[in-house]
Parts: sequence; structure tokens; C-alpha cells
Amino acid sequence: MDLIRRSLLGQLAKLTAGAALIPFASLAKAGINDQPVRREGDPTKRYGMLIDLRRCIGCQACTVSCHIENAAPLGNFRTIVSQFEVEDAESGDCATFMLPRLCNHCENPPCVPVCPVQATFQRQDGIVVVDSDRCVGCAYCVNACPYDARFINETTQTADKCTFCAHRLEANLLPACVESCVGGARIIGDMRDPHSQISQMIAEYRDQLMVLQPEKNTFPQVFYLGMDEQFTRRPQATVGIWDVRDQNGKEIGYEFSGD
Amino acid sequence: MNSLVTEIVVPRYGLAWYPWAVQYFFLIALSYCTLWLSAPGLLGAKNWRNTTKVALFACVSTTLVAPVALLADLHQPLRFWHFYAHPTPWSWMSIGAFLLPVYVGTVVALGYLCWRPAMLAQRDASGLQGLVARLVCLGSWNTPRLLIPLLTLAALVLSTGIILYTGAEIAVVKGRPLWNTPWLPVMFLTTGMLGATGLVLVLNRISGVCSASTNRRMLSLMAFSGLACGLVALTWYLDGSNQVSGSVSEALASVRDNPTWRNMAFWGLFAGAFLTLSAWFMSTHTRLLPFGWLAGLLALHVAWMFRWAVLMDVQTVARNTAGSNDYTIAFGSSGWLGVIGIFGLWLAALLLIELFVPWRGEASKNTSAATQEGAVHHG
Repeated sequence: MDLIRRSLLGQLAKLTAGAALIPFASLAKAGINDQPVRREGDPTKRYGMLIDLRRCIGCQACTVSCHIENAAPLGNFRTIVSQFEVEDAESGDCATFMLPRLCNHCENPPCVPVCPVQATFQRQDGIVVVDSDRCVGCAYCVNACPYDARFINETTQTADKCTFCAHRLEANLLPACVESCVGGARIIGDMRDPHSQISQMIAEYRDQLMVLQPEKNTFPQVFYLGMDEQFTRRPQATVGIWDVRDQNGKEIGYEFSGD
Repeated sequence: MNSLVTEIVVPRYGLAWYPWAVQYFFLIALSYCTLWLSAPGLLGAKNWRNTTKVALFACVSTTLVAPVALLADLHQPLRFWHFYAHPTPWSWMSIGAFLLPVYVGTVVALGYLCWRPAMLAQRDASGLQGLVARLVCLGSWNTPRLLIPLLTLAALVLSTGIILYTGAEIAVVKGRPLWNTPWLPVMFLTTGMLGATGLVLVLNRISGVCSASTNRRMLSLMAFSGLACGLVALTWYLDGSNQVSGSVSEALASVRDNPTWRNMAFWGLFAGAFLTLSAWFMSTHTRLLPFGWLAGLLALHVAWMFRWAVLMDVQTVARNTAGSNDYTIAFGSSGWLGVIGIFGLWLAALLLIELFVPWRGEASKNTSAATQEGAVHHG
């Protein structure tokens, strides 16, 4: 059978009753804990983010604007900039390292197949979202995400996470964190469009880009430029100043514990 | 380049699964293991009859309460019907949601059929007990004999599904290396059997059945389960230290320098070894058999603590920050209330069965007063 006719038959099958069976066929294909078929979103796009750490000053404008835009409860973050003081053991020189964290919208997101009600899913444009009307709050996805990018929103009692501000992207606006970034460190865009800034930067800096926990095979789509490799894993660090303990080692205060 | 790193600003990550999860994994493990312990008698082994009586009592009570704990661990418990409105065969949790009700139904039906003959005999009793017996028996038809072994087999098959899903559900989580090992489901089973033998020993004592053969059998099985736990734990550890499994070495590295985890590992090792040795020692000394329930209590403690360590303590191991996520058990429904509430519900289930169901069967056929008297004598 020649190619054209075969593809025509394929198209016809999709148009006819076969279309109704497609979800079932894909359902049978997915083994346990395999990635289900993506739905919704623009299939011609693949959103990703590149964070130029050389431009990040750790001002937390992204953290604040995300909080305002997405109304996350106090103490939970869809994005935040982790900050570390790094001291050279030999010279004693000090530097501050800034690491903006957010959902990596992985190509192989471990949070998606675990969801027992398909409330969390990956759109065809790569964005991982949660349908909070369907979510049962089992928190399986929160545990499955190795990046701690998810949390249970205590107001909605459902899973919450960064959506790349999908609602803003659809209105041709930039995500709140990108919009507010003082240094222009966050670059979001369609990686399928070779002319987009992100595609061009990925092409230019391909060898220098790093992702978080690459060994987990989640294929994160948030790329870091100017990254120190030791921070792609859990940092070997002294715990931070937010741990305020009394003489018995018991925690006595926490920035967000007050209502 | 060597560098010293101090965290200046890092987010605080809370725990996503509450102690309800521990209660569920504890009770469901007791449920499927006591089912296995009662199976030989249900399938016709005559010398297993006393053990089956006690084990079935334990099995039905835990099976009834376990799903309540599971439901409570959802942050949106009233949305449980979403599990059935959106079947998701690639998620272990969804598979479990379909398996669990069938399993619970089968076990309850099995308990019903096993206890019905004694309930029939109790129909003439006065008061509430007689009334309940008359209502529950649904007529005076004879219980079909063949149904019990058939239902037992069905329940056993379903229980393997429960064992598989509860284990796999946790073991597939790559984000937590301490969970991400095929040895975890096996360990759930072996520690579950440890707890189940312990539960049967305790119930054998406090229910007044006080069967010596049950004590001996459970103690031997407990020693065997303890040995199996030790082997699994050792294999897991060797897998990690010999770099056979990257996940296990990562898991070991994540808790190696933590004194709390070191103490916990030593306590687990000590309690497990002590339990195994004492169970074996007691099972070989007839005079010690009546004290088997003491080993039973320790076994229940070990089985529960294992689940607490796996489900709660593992969540405190930070994945993206140094140190650990602090966790203090809250008093409300996300903490102590859940733990105590579920144990209270379980006690209530045990007492309700005890009150309305003459589960001791033949022995208590005469009157309930005689049973109570008997219990005092034996005790």
C-alpha cells in the first residue's frame, strides 16, 4: 500500500468511530507507572525555561510576584530562590550562590503517572498542571516529585504547583516570575520554535546548561546556565538560619508559623 | 575545589502523608497476614481450627478499619468517588482503589459465612444479641459448606493483589531513594507477618481462647518471620554498600550521618533480633508458651514502628535542602487524633464483634455466660 493511501486511511479512521476508541487504545498501551497520553494545550509548542544564574541577584521578586499572582498560602512556594553562602576551603573567599527553584515540567514527570484520578496531567505543550476540581488530595504526587516542587495547598486541600503561569501564557503574557525578574535571568519560550530566545540560547550554550538531579531520568525542562554542579544534587551544606533552636536542639521559631 | 556551603534561604517542606497512612499500612498488613494465618483452617486443616478462629477475628476487625484510615489520609476524603469516576490503570493507587473494596467485601463475606452457624444458634438468645443474630442471619438457610473454601481462595488471591499494590505504590517513588527498592514490598510482608503472629498471640490470650498449639505455632512463625525480616534488611543493606543498587546506596548516604536514623537502625536491629530469639526460645519451651503474648506485643510494636519509620521518618529526609524536614506530631486530625482514633475504632470493631458474634464457634455454643466464665478460668 502506498504511503499516501495509508495515511489517508489513517486519517479516515481517526475521523470515524475509531476516534472514540483512541483513548482506550492509549489506555491499553500505558503500563503501570508509564506516562499517560498528554492532553490539552497546543501540540505545536513545547514550553521550557532557561535560568541564567549569572543574572540572578537573589532579590526574590519572582517569589513575591508568583505568590501574588497565584495566591499560594504563606510558607508554600511555587517558586523560590534558594540562597547559599559558599566559602572556598583554602582561600576563605566567600560568594553567594542563588538557585531559583520551580517545577521543572519534566519530559518524564514522575508526578503524573502516580496520580490515581488523572487530576495532574501533562499538556501537549509540556506544561504539567493540576485539575484542582478533580484532585482528591492524596499527596502521592507531592511525594513522587524529587524536586519538592509540589505541595498540598491548605486552602484548597489539593495539590498545588507551578504552571509556568499557563493562564498568562494563554493571554500572551509572560509568567509572573519572568515578568518581574529584575536581571532578566528567567527566559521562557517555545523550544519547538527555532527563532525563540530560549531555543537560540539553548543552541548557543548547550554544553554549559545543567538540570537538577539528571540521574533521576526525569529530563527536566528548566535549564540552568552558570550552574555549579554540586547544586544539581541535594547540597552538602550547613543548615540555614531559619532553623532556630533552643539549647535542647528543639525548634523554637519559624518564619511562617504565625497565622 | 573544596568549599563550605551554608544555607541562607531555603524553603521549608512539610510532610505530605500523615500518620493515617501508617495506620492504614499497619492494619492492611495485619489484615492480609492474619488472612493467611487463618487460611489453613478455613481450607480444612483440623488441627489449625483454634488458630483460624483467632486469626479470622483479627482479620475481619483489621479489614473493616483499614480503609477508614486510608480514606482519612486524603485531604479531600469526600472526593473518594473520583477514584471510581476516573479509573487510572497506570497508577498503583488507582489499582488499589479498585482492589481494596473487593478484598474487604470478600473478607467480610468470609467472616460472615464462618460465623453464621454460631449466629444461627444465638437467634433464640434474649435481648440485643438475639435480635442482632436474627437480623443478620437473614433466614434459617444452611450455610453452604463449599462457599467457605472458595471464598478463602478468592480472598487469598485478592490479598496477593493488596500485598503487591501496597508495596509497589511506595516502591515506585524514585524521588525518595529509601522507598525506591523492590525489597520494600517484601519487607512490608515479612514485618506484617511478624505483627500478625503477634496480634494472634495477644488475642489468643485476652479472648480467653488460650490455645497452647496456637501459641506454639505463632511463636515459631514469628521466629521465622523475624529471620526473614533480617535477611531482607541485610540484603537491602548489602545492595547499597556494594553499589548493586544505586537507589539503596543513595538511600544509605541520605541518612548515614544522621544520629536519629542511626539510633533507629540500632533499635530496629536489637528489637528484631531479641524478638526472633525469644520467639524461637518460647516456642521450644512449653512452660513459656502462655507468655507468648508478651512477644506478641513487641512484634506489634516492631511492625508498627517499621511503618512509622518508612512512611513518616522517610518524609523528613530532605531532598533539596541540607538537614531534615522537622516534624512534630500535631494533636489534631493530622496527628495524634488520627493515630488514637484509628486504634479506638479498631478496638470498637473488636468489641462489637465480641459482643454480637459468637466467633469462638463450637466452644461457645451453650450460652454467652458460659463463654465468659470459661474465659476467666482459662485466663
